[in-house]
Amino acid sequence: MSKKLLVLSVVMLMVLSLSITVGAQEVTLKFLHRWTQEPDSTFFEEVVANYEEQNPNVNIDMQVVSNDPFKEKIKIMLGTENAPDVFFTWPGEFTNRFIRAGQVMDLTPYMEDGWSDTLIDSVVEPFKYEGKIYGAPYRLDAKVFVYNTKIFEEVGVEEPANFDEFLTVLEKIKNAGYTPIAFGNMFPWAVSHYIGQLNAYCVPSDVYQEDLNPAEGDFAHPGYKLALEKYSQLTPYFNPSANAIRHDEARSTLFNGEAAMMYLEIIEIPTIESEAPEEFRNNYDVFVMPEIPEGEGDPNALLGYPEGFVISANTDHPEEAVKFLKYLTGKEVGQKEAQDLGFVNGVKNVVSEGEIKDSIYNTTQLVLETDRLVNWFDSSLHAEIWSVAGSELQKITDGVATPEEALERIRAAAEDVRAQF
Amino acid sequence: MFKNKYTPYLFILPALILILIFVYIPIVQNFYFSFFRMNSYSPGQTFIGLDNYKDIFQNDIFYTAIVNNVWYAVISLIVQVGLGLVLAITLESKLLGKERKFFRTIYFIPSVIAIAAVGLMFYYIYNPNLGLLNAVISMFTEGNFRYAWLGDPNTAIFAVIAMSQWQFTGYIMILLIVAIQKIPQELYEVAEIDGASSFQKAIYVTIPQIKEMILVTSVITVIGAFKLFTEIFVTTRGGPYDTTQVLGTFMYKTAFFYDKMGYAAAIAVIIFFITFTTSVFQIKFANKGED
Repeated sequence: MSKKLLVLSVVMLMVLSLSITVGAQEVTLKFLHRWTQEPDSTFFEEVVANYEEQNPNVNIDMQVVSNDPFKEKIKIMLGTENAPDVFFTWPGEFTNRFIRAGQVMDLTPYMEDGWSDTLIDSVVEPFKYEGKIYGAPYRLDAKVFVYNTKIFEEVGVEEPANFDEFLTVLEKIKNAGYTPIAFGNMFPWAVSHYIGQLNAYCVPSDVYQEDLNPAEGDFAHPGYKLALEKYSQLTPYFNPSANAIRHDEARSTLFNGEAAMMYLEIIEIPTIESEAPEEFRNNYDVFVMPEIPEGEGDPNALLGYPEGFVISANTDHPEEAVKFLKYLTGKEVGQKEAQDLGFVNGVKNVVSEGEIKDSIYNTTQLVLETDRLVNWFDSSLHAEIWSVAGSELQKITDGVATPEEALERIRAAAEDVRAQF
Repeated sequence: MFKNKYTPYLFILPALILILIFVYIPIVQNFYFSFFRMNSYSPGQTFIGLDNYKDIFQNDIFYTAIVNNVWYAVISLIVQVGLGLVLAITLESKLLGKERKFFRTIYFIPSVIAIAAVGLMFYYIYNPNLGLLNAVISMFTEGNFRYAWLGDPNTAIFAVIAMSQWQFTGYIMILLIVAIQKIPQELYEVAEIDGASSFQKAIYVTIPQIKEMILVTSVITVIGAFKLFTEIFVTTRGGPYDTTQVLGTFMYKTAFFYDKMGYAAAIAVIIFFITFTTSVFQIKFANKGED
């Protein structure tokens, strides 16, 4: 009985090893992204099919995990033998911790070999860590206020030029009976976007960058307090119970004309174009967060980091993975991406005016004209600091914590984290 | 019966091996991991002794979580076991005729729905703008009642607990009904001859006869209360600002958001001890009553 079993297992092992040697020329790349919904999922299927057709020796094993579970799953996968060869990521601290753990391949030699010449510098910048380039951008993003031009006309207000004017505009809209700002902050990444932009206006950029380093950051600069105070001045103008509703739920009040504006990512503009009622689609425009003249930061800084793909440091096929990544973030896919999805990737001149919807083209230009893109506050912070900060920012939103109290607790969390390095 | 006295053990062996691999070895491993600082994606791990435990006991969220778990346990005992018992006795009494089958099914149905679906349903019931609950209250109040049940720290945890009571009271009720149906009819006949009222029959016959099942359901509810996870995860995710965290979600958050696997293992050890001692205590306590 046991002899038979032994013979059987030996035979199976032989067959297995045989199949590995026979398939040596065939390369399988494991590819992980986070777009489970249409039209994105079809787009990726087509891109992968096209690539496999052009490269018959390559087989792409595509896996998809939706946004929030992705953040957890990738951490587990990277520690195992099943780590994907090419995977989606957010540049900044989210990726940097994997780089520190030696899990992400350094792309600098390939980038210097002509690859980076095809890409927009400011969009590659976020993928750098300690002078080396680790990833390639898949789509640009930035945060802007999308507003209902009809409500603005009716109330008699215009795009504000600075923060004080902004408060006056909000007051007028509120008095006219509209919700000035739609806000769904059940998951506090939403508030992190406000704070990220306000910090960039209030804190000098070199100080801010140092504070984002978990080994050194202390958030001692007075600009952080100013930013939180400015944010708390906005809270009376949000819809009630912002912490209890989700972002997309709040967005529907913008679409149906209950709310006058909302702080949105430019990658949501294709959603406006496909989902909002015609009434809204024909009557919206955008402006960036009004600047804060007394702030010591950079008034030209714009919150908005690209998303992209990186390669696992443990991949068995680095050359093939790089080739696929170049294709995935290259011009051909970029043009298809702009047409099919309304997203713009990091390739120079990937689309020109008129080829895509004006609203998408114009907001993309905002990103390209900015000297300095600022990373999302949540994904640039160390996870433990963000966890405290997210809670504290929700408290400010509800009016149960003051900016001073919140900042004190955020600084204490930063101190705890510093002690771990 | 068996030719070889080892044969019975041979039959137990596969199950034993599986349980060892999937239950007991991971528990022991978990104890071991709780003394380390480690995450899932970097190979290194640092031995830090009892530091994880010290940190946990200094963490405010830990105490919020314990309080929430205790609330959940107490309310579930009162509603699921207490009210479940009242329902079971009423449905099995002579007060009801054939319609008892209908009510039994009605009360039981919620417990067969997936928790994720129930969570989503209650998310909308409690929603401040579109919510069913606020709409019903608005019918009795002047103006539009807009209360964020899951968004206000004062009500959020109780709103989630209420959802669980709705879902599981019927399940506990069915378990108790099964026990009641096993009680010999003679006991009731004797009680009737002695002139016992329905209430007296419930107190002196039914409850003592199903004591075992009441104990089992109590243990299930209390242990369930400390293993709580999905209900919170699908409704509030521990928010607003960590006021609805329970031990399970706190453990999940430290493991997958803070990347602190060792710390999460330490929380798991604490959950293990709480559930283990509660069940030992409850079983001991019940045996005493029997003697």
